[in-house]
Amino acid sequence: MLRTNRLTKRFGGITATDEVTFELGDKLTSIIGPNGAGKTTFFNLLTGALTPTEGTVELKKDGGWVDITGMDTHETAQMGIHRSYQITNVFPTTSVLENVRVAAQAHGSNSVRFWRNVNNFDEHYEEAYGILDRVGLADKAEVPAENLSHGEKRQLEVGIALAGDPDVLLLDEPNAGVSSEDIDAVKAIIEDVATDHAVLLVEHNMDIVMDVSERIVVLNQGAVIADDKPENIQGDPDVQEAYLGGYEAGDLEARRQDTAASQGSGTEPDGGGLA
Amino acid sequence: MSVETQQTGGGRFPSWIGQYLRDHLLLAVIVVLFAVYPFLYDFLTGQFGLTAQMILPRTRTMLTILALGLFAMSFDFISGYTGYLSFGHAAFFGIGAYFVVLGHNGQLPVVPAETSFMLLLLIGALVAVIAAFLIGLISFRLSGVYFAMITLGIAEMMYVASNNWGFLTPGTSDPTEGVAAGSPTDVGFFEPMVGVPFVEALQVEIGPFGDESILGISVGDPQIVSYLAIGAVVLLCYLMMKRIIHSPFGRVMIAIRENEERAKAIGYNVFYYKMGAFMISAFFGAVAGALFVGYEGAIDPTNSFFFLVTGFALVAAIIGGLGTLAGPFFGYIFLEGVEEFLSREGSGGGLQPFLEQNLPGAILDTDIAGLTINEALSAFMTGHGDFYAGIIFIIFVLYVPIGMLGTLRNRYGTDSLAKYVSAGVEKRLPSSDGETAATGDDD
Repeated sequence: MLRTNRLTKRFGGITATDEVTFELGDKLTSIIGPNGAGKTTFFNLLTGALTPTEGTVELKKDGGWVDITGMDTHETAQMGIHRSYQITNVFPTTSVLENVRVAAQAHGSNSVRFWRNVNNFDEHYEEAYGILDRVGLADKAEVPAENLSHGEKRQLEVGIALAGDPDVLLLDEPNAGVSSEDIDAVKAIIEDVATDHAVLLVEHNMDIVMDVSERIVVLNQGAVIADDKPENIQGDPDVQEAYLGGYEAGDLEARRQDTAASQGSGTEPDGGGLA
Repeated sequence: MSVETQQTGGGRFPSWIGQYLRDHLLLAVIVVLFAVYPFLYDFLTGQFGLTAQMILPRTRTMLTILALGLFAMSFDFISGYTGYLSFGHAAFFGIGAYFVVLGHNGQLPVVPAETSFMLLLLIGALVAVIAAFLIGLISFRLSGVYFAMITLGIAEMMYVASNNWGFLTPGTSDPTEGVAAGSPTDVGFFEPMVGVPFVEALQVEIGPFGDESILGISVGDPQIVSYLAIGAVVLLCYLMMKRIIHSPFGRVMIAIRENEERAKAIGYNVFYYKMGAFMISAFFGAVAGALFVGYEGAIDPTNSFFFLVTGFALVAAIIGGLGTLAGPFFGYIFLEGVEEFLSREGSGGGLQPFLEQNLPGAILDTDIAGLTINEALSAFMTGHGDFYAGIIFIIFVLYVPIGMLGTLRNRYGTDSLAKYVSAGVEKRLPSSDGETAATGDDD
């Protein structure tokens, strides 16, 4: 559905995304990696919020690949790439229904019809109600979005991204800050939307990642260091290195002794920086 | 709303008119109140004399309120609904006003002298739309306070130009003193006709020396005729703006106000929508300027391009409720009401003439710290309406930040006051024809 070729983003001297070549298929794919690995930057490059320094992003449309590198976010959204946000990013004072309805309205040409009442456009209302059903917010349709609980806001976050029937869904930590009781609801939503969309998920909760993903891509310092099935990822030494900085049981103890021994001698203790 | 499908009723009017009125009961009542206001004012001041005069604004004041209230609504249309504070909105008011005057005086290219008022109003408004497009090209590169500052800067440039540009007053007076329609000797009198263009029967001449009858009904006072005619245009503009607010386009405006980044992320090219909204608000801002000149017959820079013209619209919008279309209009009534309440005798009457007549002289002449009460009133209250309006404004910002209409709306349902009223009436009156409850689009 979506592929990148040597996608690179540099901020000054820092390479946030480093020659990522990646293709998203039908499998529910997760991107993991330690903090600062460049997961959100990668998302921003895919949606056009950031312009890549090098490389291309392409989307499969009607069987052919379309180059969408350098498109603005509203253009990629129209092309069919929708995202949800790590930090809740909804329309706060309008109702839950209107949040999704206005997103549904963005597709098609009805938005410029300033001379007709919005209630004449039933299709957007129907689509919005359908989505609210799907993300479990049907009974909250009339509530202003800012009055939802945190977990419900996360559900709405996904609901807005679903409107307009995108081809690709980029979910940026849909579980961020969700209490343990609500996690199952959000997890169920992820699994449900993956049935009819290509889903790329960024997630920190490893239980969920291992549970829902069919494929996992590991980013570290902007580069892909592993790309495999969940069960293979867990045992991958590179991944452990990235997450734990080469930490193995007993390391801390050994290092403390190293430090004590090297005091005064001026030699640096060796040890990978913990992420 | 499904009024289009209900045109099956018998009688003199199609049934959707009845349904529309039922759905918009509050609007209908308020429109009727405004329509009868001049007569009500005459009646009440006749009955209760100074008491009524003290409280009620004069018809003359209401005339100003109509034009400036429309301007405040157009300001709110962009500022309250997209969140982009158009601090240079006075530019459009000025363009509308100056266009009518200069157009009538034959000073504009292409437009012949003595072109009809309605035509000048429309063309002037379209010129303002073009101006808004050009201003928007520059200012929509930025947001927040920077957007406000760029629009303000452009309006101030126009203010300076209107103060110094000899073209505006060829060969005669100082441009700072403004221009009057019909002032050059070779141009006919300014006789602005308001109504449906090219339909003689549906037009009236406004202005202090205009017609004394409207639609064949004599009301005896050109001021009242002007009030009704200008009021009709203002009502039409309000309904048009409301229509846009409740359209899919209006919903995108609100989405931009709520969260522009997300509006972009769901696929809206927000630049186009902001630009569209800005141009629409400029249109109505210019209509307000034209209507203002329609009655006054003249315009000067201080009453048009000056930044305080926008400032008052902003104050009115905050008092009335930013983000409620009718709010700024009522805010303006409130502001002008306070000012007139504290004005001197002879310019609307107010508190002081009332007290002078109703309190015994002994009290008024009581000496407190070297000033009699009467003198203190003169010194600290009378004629200082702006000062007290400022205090009221601060109180509003602190305690009623969503304004009068915003507060009412929050209290009686998040959607609209009109729906609340219509639904309430519907509940009390058993519905005779079984039509469903109000689904109006009022605010």
